[in-house]
Amino acid sequence: MSLHREYDTIHSAINHLFLAKLGTNETLIHPYAVKKMADYENQSSSESESEESVITDKELQAAFSRGVLKPGLNVVLEKHQKALNNVDGLKQCLSEFKQHLAWVERLDVTVGQAPNVMSSASYPTPDKVTVDPEDDFQREMSFYRQGQAAVLKALPWLHNQKVPTRRPDDYFAEMAKSDQQMQKIRHKLKSKQEAMEKSEKAKQLRALRKYGKKVQTEILQKRQKEKATVLNAIKKYQKGLSDKLDFLDGEQTPPHQGKKKGDSGQQIKRGPSAKRRYKNQKFGFGGKKKGSKWNTRESHNDVSSFRANMAHNKGPGKAGKKGSNKRPGKKMRQKMKSRT
Amino acid sequence: MQDLRTLMPHSKADTKMDRKDKLFVINEICEIKNCNKCIFFEAKKKQDLYVWFSNSPQGPSAKFLVQNIHTLAELKMTGNCLRGSRPLLSFDPVFDQEPHYALLKELFTQIFSTPQYHPKSQPFVDHVFTFSITDNRIWFRNYQIIEEDAALVEIGPRFVLNLIKIFQGSFGGPTLYENPHYQSPNMHRRLTRLAVAARFREKQQMKNLQKLRKKEEKTVIPVDPTENVFETPSEEKPLEIELVKPELKVNLKKRKKLFQRQRKGQKKLSRVGV
Repeated sequence: MSLHREYDTIHSAINHLFLAKLGTNETLIHPYAVKKMADYENQSSSESESEESVITDKELQAAFSRGVLKPGLNVVLEKHQKALNNVDGLKQCLSEFKQHLAWVERLDVTVGQAPNVMSSASYPTPDKVTVDPEDDFQREMSFYRQGQAAVLKALPWLHNQKVPTRRPDDYFAEMAKSDQQMQKIRHKLKSKQEAMEKSEKAKQLRALRKYGKKVQTEILQKRQKEKATVLNAIKKYQKGLSDKLDFLDGEQTPPHQGKKKGDSGQQIKRGPSAKRRYKNQKFGFGGKKKGSKWNTRESHNDVSSFRANMAHNKGPGKAGKKGSNKRPGKKMRQKMKSRT
Repeated sequence: MQDLRTLMPHSKADTKMDRKDKLFVINEICEIKNCNKCIFFEAKKKQDLYVWFSNSPQGPSAKFLVQNIHTLAELKMTGNCLRGSRPLLSFDPVFDQEPHYALLKELFTQIFSTPQYHPKSQPFVDHVFTFSITDNRIWFRNYQIIEEDAALVEIGPRFVLNLIKIFQGSFGGPTLYENPHYQSPNMHRRLTRLAVAARFREKQQMKNLQKLRKKEEKTVIPVDPTENVFETPSEEKPLEIELVKPELKVNLKKRKKLFQRQRKGQKKLSRVGV
């Protein structure tokens, strides 16, 4: 019974619907089921046209009762057509049309890839089986190596047969590609090489410029630092903290070094002043300033400074203001005007 | 496909055939031309190229789909060889392992190898045709032999043959082999189109669904008292105050240029001083 193969699984609910509606209205049935139905009807050719659906209906019911139909959505399993492969025919055909000629006539070689090539020493030798057809470079390499192997194998044979493999230099004949084409190819190769060289040069120049800039900034920084230390030392000297003048060797003398030599009795300062310290602690140097004055949720919710007796102009300061305002309102003034 | 003609001196071309002619007509043409091998190119829909390789009167014949053609006109292939020199034929070892490939190998050798002392041929062997099998396809390459130590340069053309069927007769007869991996280009195009359409439809459906969901009223989720049981209060980040003076920025400009206004003022001052 082909049913077994056809209806692998039918969901029970769908099955009921299927059985009920089969004769009357096919559009309600799952499209797969309809298609399957048509297939099935084609197969059961012995049945008459008019009673076909009824009979199938009955058969289906019978099949379901027997338990051949199983619950689940039935899906058509696409039958994979078995590809033809007539091995005997192939062999026979091959033996029929095979020509037994000397190798020189045929010049065919069947070899794997060249085992080890000097050019591809670093490149991992891909096995024939593992060559990925999507990887262009690897694939072409494998073809190339196969060609190489063939040449290596065939050349001694050719030499044995006294078949020339190199043409003499003064042998001129028409080539497969015209001279024009070869000229084009040469031109393209040249331009490509030039472009490569250009890009290489540009890259080098860029790197050099970068390095130069770095060196320049370093030098400037160093100079600044030196200046700062010297100035510091001078200041200290002026204030009488030290009487060493070794920072002067090699440096230019400060403009008014002798002027303030006398007032060394100033108070000694250690670090910044208290005010400065407080300010540093409060503001710091740099850091994130943006949004520091904004309200936050905490500050918004903080109502500790709210005083009910002062709010809404109820404070003692505003009390006198009320009495001082002697000017009546606008409406009042207009009324007064009209009266007079 | 004139390229193959230039590489095969033992071939004769014939005029184009009417498309509606039966393929058996080719056998007759071969007989008239006194040929026993035949390569027949069949272009369909201006985008698919099929090629028949056939042993003319008795068969067998094989039909291929040609893919990825690069002609001799390509500028990337830098080799060159004598027109009409005899090629070496190099085959992948896979060709000996399976009967249909063995058949194809014999067919290729008979078709592509130029007979020795053929009047149009050159007496030197300076290029190699390689037939290799990767991905269930036959890849054809043509290399020039430069040195005796097997340095090769590709000449072209290159193409990939995808086997469809092998027939016993020439252009007909019972099928000997059918490639199970073959998928017709029409089918391939159809599948890709279907895939694109499906992706589009899915997107559209998702959009519709999202629209519907937006329109729907939000269901009120009752507050779960155990919701924030596992919430741990995160540590407050310490306020960072930078107490060390940051390093001064280096000014790379050598000289500070005054604003125009200031320069003018200076000039005035100097004039007054004079």
